Amino acid sequence: MNKVLFFAHLRDAVGEESVEVEAAGKTIAELKQQLAEAHGIQKLDAVMAAVNEEFADDDEVIKEGDTIAFIPPVSGG
Amino acid sequence: MSERYSRQTLFSPIGKDGQEKIRGKHVLIIGAGALGSGSAEMLTRAGVGELTIVDRDYVEESNLQRQQLYTEQDVALKLPKAAAAKKRLQEINSDVTIHAVIGDANPEKLAELAVGKDLILDATDNFETRLAINDISQKCKIPWIYGACVGSYGMSFTIIPGKTPCLNCLLKKLPIQGMTCDTVGVISPAVGMVVSHQVAEALKILVEDWEAVRPAFVSFDLWRNQYSSIKVGKAKDESCLSCGEHPTYPFLEAENQTKSTVLCGRDTVQVRPPKPLEIQLDELAKQLGALGYTVKGNPYLLSVEMKDERVVIFKDGRALVHGTKDMTAAKTLYNKILG
Repeated sequence: MNKVLFFAHLRDAVGEESVEVEAAGKTIAELKQQLAEAHGIQKLDAVMAAVNEEFADDDEVIKEGDTIAFIPPVSGG
Repeated sequence: MSERYSRQTLFSPIGKDGQEKIRGKHVLIIGAGALGSGSAEMLTRAGVGELTIVDRDYVEESNLQRQQLYTEQDVALKLPKAAAAKKRLQEINSDVTIHAVIGDANPEKLAELAVGKDLILDATDNFETRLAINDISQKCKIPWIYGACVGSYGMSFTIIPGKTPCLNCLLKKLPIQGMTCDTVGVISPAVGMVVSHQVAEALKILVEDWEAVRPAFVSFDLWRNQYSSIKVGKAKDESCLSCGEHPTYPFLEAENQTKSTVLCGRDTVQVRPPKPLEIQLDELAKQLGALGYTVKGNPYLLSVEMKDERVVIFKDGRALVHGTKDMTAAKTLYNKILG
């Protein structure tokens, strides 16, 4: 299993701070697509991802037990 | 040295030597809104040698809740933010030389302003300007510190050319329809937290304590009690066009800039993003409606009645700002809505 954490407005959109999914073997891009469909939220293309608190790009393959966090960059100032 | 900086020089990582270094530095702050007000005040109190602050907007009533340099009188006088900031900063510390630049921080302006600066602080409200700052920083080898906030959420990251990844390495795709303070609001503690992260990093850089610079991207949500720090070392991309082996500095090119044009005889400015976007019009309509604006729309466009202007936003991100011939004002309004 993998824990997926959502930050800021993503947490509101999903309705939960985190979810448990089977994501081992999937890439970050695939997980983003799966989550967007499962939760009926906007595409996560431009959302930053971290695996075990380390920056991960879209091609990174998720391993069993990894914790994935999605962090949406914002522009206000 | 007088007592003025004694509490800062007693702090051992700064000390008297550090204070001398801070005194010899010139910092450029892009934007004089909430983040810019906060960091300008901290750096002025800290006794930086020179500060240049650039902003294209003027002070409005809705700024006072969080933009700490401004007063009701500035609102009544509709003072440009850069000018109002300079006035207040000068009162706080007359030792600091403050340069106020009233205008749009476009790539040409940024290239001009970057000359001779030791550090650039980001206090803008849009990614286009940030990516231009990012390219200028790489081109001129000047560190810069990204900071942004919306709602109770904020983030910051320090970019040191030749050492850390750059913003273009991290944002492979430009976030579209970034939520902005003008669409979903912001609370001042979120502003203060981002400012504190940015200025702490700024002080480290000004005293040249490079080892202390935070190597992680931080984000936090003060309302939902979340804090995250992600390591970004491996995000550095050698093929990055901003900081890689063969940089082209793409965000300084005219083709990657938002275009605005005055439409003849119509009291209207057209604002066009560099690449077509895919705006979720229903989502945007909800946000703007919640702010009390009258929003009408169809599947192709939204029409929003603002205070003095009417803005029509098309699905591809193009907008018509009716009721003005001022291109800078139209771009300002556009960034407030779409980020």
